Amino acid sequence: MEQRQKIEELVYRTCLALDDRDFKGFLDLCDESFRYKVTAYSPEIRKDMVWLDHDKKGMETLFTQLPRHNSDHSPLTRHATVYTVKVNGTQAEVVSALQVFRTALDGGATELYSVARLVDTVKLDGGDPKLAQRVVRIGTRQLGFGSHIPF
Amino acid sequence: MAKSAAEWNASPKFPVTHYVDSRIYTDQAIFQEEMDKLFKPSWIIACHESEIANAYDYRLFTHPTGVPLIIVRGEDMKVRSFYNICPHRGNTILYDPAGNAKRMTCIFHAWSFDSRGNCVDISRAEQGYQDRFCKEDAGLREVKAEVGFGGFVWVNLDDASCTLAEYIGPALDVLAPYMVEPMEVFHFNRAIVDTNYKLWHDTNSEFYHDFVHYFNRITGMMQPGYFDRKYTAFPNGHATVGSMQIQYDKYEGSKERAVGWPGLAPGGWYMVDLFPGMTYNLRTSVLRIDTAIPLGPNKVAIEFRGLGLKSDTPQQRAERVRDHNTIWGPFGRNLHEDLLAVHGQGRAMRKGTDSRWVIQGREENATIHDEVGMRHFYAEWGRRMGRPAYDPLRENRPEPARAVA
Repeated sequence: MEQRQKIEELVYRTCLALDDRDFKGFLDLCDESFRYKVTAYSPEIRKDMVWLDHDKKGMETLFTQLPRHNSDHSPLTRHATVYTVKVNGTQAEVVSALQVFRTALDGGATELYSVARLVDTVKLDGGDPKLAQRVVRIGTRQLGFGSHIPF
Repeated sequence: MAKSAAEWNASPKFPVTHYVDSRIYTDQAIFQEEMDKLFKPSWIIACHESEIANAYDYRLFTHPTGVPLIIVRGEDMKVRSFYNICPHRGNTILYDPAGNAKRMTCIFHAWSFDSRGNCVDISRAEQGYQDRFCKEDAGLREVKAEVGFGGFVWVNLDDASCTLAEYIGPALDVLAPYMVEPMEVFHFNRAIVDTNYKLWHDTNSEFYHDFVHYFNRITGMMQPGYFDRKYTAFPNGHATVGSMQIQYDKYEGSKERAVGWPGLAPGGWYMVDLFPGMTYNLRTSVLRIDTAIPLGPNKVAIEFRGLGLKSDTPQQRAERVRDHNTIWGPFGRNLHEDLLAVHGQGRAMRKGTDSRWVIQGREENATIHDEVGMRHFYAEWGRRMGRPAYDPLRENRPEPARAVA
């Protein structure tokens, strides 16, 4: 039970770190082998699509380049609920529901921005669990003007 | 120096071809007129042939004028288009955005249609209609459809329109050598933004806005050849811009595109803007297609497609997808910046803000930061709308003296 609690806390900490734009803190929760993917299924073209695919170095570059780009600055708030945790030896597969809310800087109105499912692979080889892979299966494909910051 | 109200409202000190009245982006009556005069008689990209590869495959498309269309491939492999409206009680016939339907049957009263638009069954026809009405009287409304210019399916609501080839003319000749091999859509995304459709097309029609893109500044604007790219204007409001070699390795985390595109020089980049709201964008390893679907004076849905080659190996396709997403995906570096910029224009120009003019006055010998692409679009807009974009409400403003450079 303590192990499941640590795994759940890892998922929640990754959300908190991204909410706070603490990108170093997020990457510190990830294993060196970390891989991050955003996928979506398009009923229009009847195909699975990949919208983002980076290793840890790629994510680090994405984050460090952010200040050089023009981005929407509305805060994103991630609300995750861990549904299932399947431990298999030194790793676990964790499935969570994710809702992402966007709050306008001017006036503070909050809207539901996206729903998704997180499929995480967590490394458990002693010490604190680390995120080895995250696949964000996006349900909401209409994202307005988009975002430079992944979910 | 800051302006008074009178100065703000005065016509800009440019020739009247070099600015437009910003009410063309906000006025409801102008918007309605544009649907009738610009979009209804134009050829519009509805989908790509790879989305309906097999017999009876269909794809739904909402035409910019609002007409719901079915694009379907018949058993004879010909692509046709029909209103997605049952001729009986006006119901929607097909609901899912894509699928395969040998018979298209309205769920409401089970009237059924084949892929040629014929009504093939009216439930309990004889009992209700006797000999007064039969299935031969109940065909679907067919819309002109042609496949061409890279395998795209184009539709035209005007039965009396010119052919697709006549409409496009020589505008896509520059891309013809690169659209020989069959292509396949791997990415589809629809963005809805509170802005006018023309503002999106403007953004695709000028590169001066590369200042918004760190990626383009580093890999393009600061590299040799960038300022040599030239615009070419074509009949019907279409325009293209010449290629250059993008230096991808200048952007940290990026690298030379390994997979490339048949016949295209490494790092090559061509764009063709088609009136009234479509863009072909071939950049190194991916063809991107934008189709603007206006939803109102200050709202547009933009359909984005990413295409690779049908012959791609899984590794090649993965590389193209990665290249695409780096700049053009919903989380990509450039798409967000472009959409954010036109969202900002929509915010500043929405009705009541007292926005007055949009200046398109840059002249640089038709090279990359010249705004001739936009001027060419608005010349066609004026021709079709019957008045100039600088005076859309026919207020007959006097032309100001041209500023001296």
